Amino acid sequence: MSDKPAERFTGHGAEWRDSNLSPAEAKIATSWVELKVDKRSMLTQKDRVEDVRDAMWQLEKDGEIVVHRVREEHQPMMVKTLYGWDKKIPTTRLWHHKSCGQCGNIPGYPASLLWLMNQLDTEYLDETDQTSCTAWNYHGSGIGNLESLAAVFLRNFHQAYVAAKAEGKPESYYYPLVHCGTSFGNYKEVRQYLIHSAKLRESVKKILGRLGRLVDGKLLIPEEVVHYSEWLHVMRQRIAERRTIDVSGIRATVHPACHVYKMVPQDAIYDDSINGGNRLANSTGIMQALGTQVIDYSTWYDCCGFGFRHIISEREFTRSFAIDRKVKVAVEEARADVMIGHDTGCITTLDKNQWIGKAAGKGYELPILADCQFAALACGAHPYKIVQSHWHASPTETLMEKLGIDWQAKKAEFVAYLEEIKAGKQENLYDPRRMVTSGPGYIPIKAA
Amino acid sequence: MSHAAEGTRVQKHIGDPVGDAAPLPRAKLEEIFADLQSDLRYDHELNGCLNCGICTATCPAAHYYDFSPREIVQLLWTENLEGIYDAMQEKIWACAQCYTCAARCPFGNSPGGLVMLMRETAIKHQMKSAKDVLRPFSRVMLKLISTGNQLAPDMINKDHFADWGPNISKVDAPLKILRKAIPMPTLNTTATAWEVNLKTSVELYTIWEMTGVLKQLEGIDENLFDVITDIMDEKREDWKDFLADQEEDQ
Repeated sequence: MSDKPAERFTGHGAEWRDSNLSPAEAKIATSWVELKVDKRSMLTQKDRVEDVRDAMWQLEKDGEIVVHRVREEHQPMMVKTLYGWDKKIPTTRLWHHKSCGQCGNIPGYPASLLWLMNQLDTEYLDETDQTSCTAWNYHGSGIGNLESLAAVFLRNFHQAYVAAKAEGKPESYYYPLVHCGTSFGNYKEVRQYLIHSAKLRESVKKILGRLGRLVDGKLLIPEEVVHYSEWLHVMRQRIAERRTIDVSGIRATVHPACHVYKMVPQDAIYDDSINGGNRLANSTGIMQALGTQVIDYSTWYDCCGFGFRHIISEREFTRSFAIDRKVKVAVEEARADVMIGHDTGCITTLDKNQWIGKAAGKGYELPILADCQFAALACGAHPYKIVQSHWHASPTETLMEKLGIDWQAKKAEFVAYLEEIKAGKQENLYDPRRMVTSGPGYIPIKAA
Repeated sequence: MSHAAEGTRVQKHIGDPVGDAAPLPRAKLEEIFADLQSDLRYDHELNGCLNCGICTATCPAAHYYDFSPREIVQLLWTENLEGIYDAMQEKIWACAQCYTCAARCPFGNSPGGLVMLMRETAIKHQMKSAKDVLRPFSRVMLKLISTGNQLAPDMINKDHFADWGPNISKVDAPLKILRKAIPMPTLNTTATAWEVNLKTSVELYTIWEMTGVLKQLEGIDENLFDVITDIMDEKREDWKDFLADQEEDQ
């Protein structure tokens, strides 16, 4: 074997040589990076980052676009983002923009959110006229482009704007609430490009025009792109008031989702009373409000290993990263009872990739739930009918035992309920007639 | 036998990009680079680089692959056309798209975003490497492009996800019944994550066509393209029939 390092092409050029640092030396050389991953180092960019909403209002003033506003009727609550800017979070009249991964794979995730909204008398619409953001596929495969992502974004958000007409209510009645972290990040990024590029607006306007999805002949841009975890965050005290189970004995770790706070980081929520204002407030806020012990761990900043394409076709990476960098650390370092997330891909990755660890002597068993699922459990939601915990591969049963929930009895109730379903009896969170707003199957419903 | 005498996998595949002879005609390399630069995101994602390496230090893919976001940025910043082409053969597909690099870069670069431009360009130029990498992903692309949903309940089964263990569902019942037991009526489906309105699908197809996505797909997997266009034709016919019925009723 040759000892000439230049023979291994790395793209660094022929003069490149391995540093040959020992693991200990490498650790010393890079440890400063790990120490500089909090909010304060992100703040160094502040002077060079603009608030894209300023340009958005100017475009509207110039007659280029129409802005879908968060209005008083949406009962907004204000939060602060990374640089201390204000963000309006609508709390009612919400149009659920679902996540394909959540709905396909962990359906208790959206069901728990809607259940919480029912508890709080939140008005919403869950309808069929929507596609996914298509960004999972884009980030995984490269099939798609900025124009297609922008057109899908504007089509879905236009539908949110007009959906209430099917119920005899006015346009802009509902405001879109994005369930998926990747959709949230992607839409924020695409909105930036739409606002900055007249060329992109021009090309997408042709498409939206063809679809009949312009407002007064203009593109409709949302004032805020809002993630469901932001709604959960601003509603945390009201949700905590409905808690029926003592969760103070639970040691929770939080996995913040990359596409929620690393994509367009200036739009993510930070709160001085949560994590010292140095880390994303979403999820930690609700877990603290409910009364759990939120435990820090050294790899909180790491991604989950989802990788978009990797979770499908290169799973060695996904499961190795998920186990070694997240699950193992949460169990051994934080002695966690549960890991809480707020994104589709993260929950899937961390939940599904534990069993295979046994093959490598890493048989960790850490319950994985979304923040809204945990909140629903704490507020007395049925662990199977609502939280749908049977779809989780991780041992949610151990968490339920710590919460004092008799999961075996609840599971038996659910199995009995399946027999009722076979007989045509089904319980829903809302009137099923509302889910179709046009086309085949549409049944007009008069406004209340 | 030495590693050098055998040649590396990259060298066998495309030649040695840093050798005397360019692996591709210069004009082709320039065409690829021009495609990258012409994307309006390029100047936004690439602002400069001092090789600090903070992006690579926090990169999950760098833990497991011969991949470095710093290297990607350097190749583009120094306009190393051979190196860019080489990276597009394999390295760009290692990126996990977490954007940790983008959040960390003191220059405001987005190596993850640049990787996406390189992936799109690899597809545009129908690189064999892109076709090979995406072959196992075709099931997902079929679902996404034909239905607008990336993932469907019927895709999650033990044959496709054996490494996820025995608990696809901890309650043993037919998928259809389990899906009806979700208290959101939009989710009582098995072939899509939620029920998608027919009009929505037809509108999505227009987006795919007008943005060149179908053309991308045709270049990368012609068989998949044929299957998807058949599905699109069928749904468009259904929509036309519905509209015709509506007119008759009026």
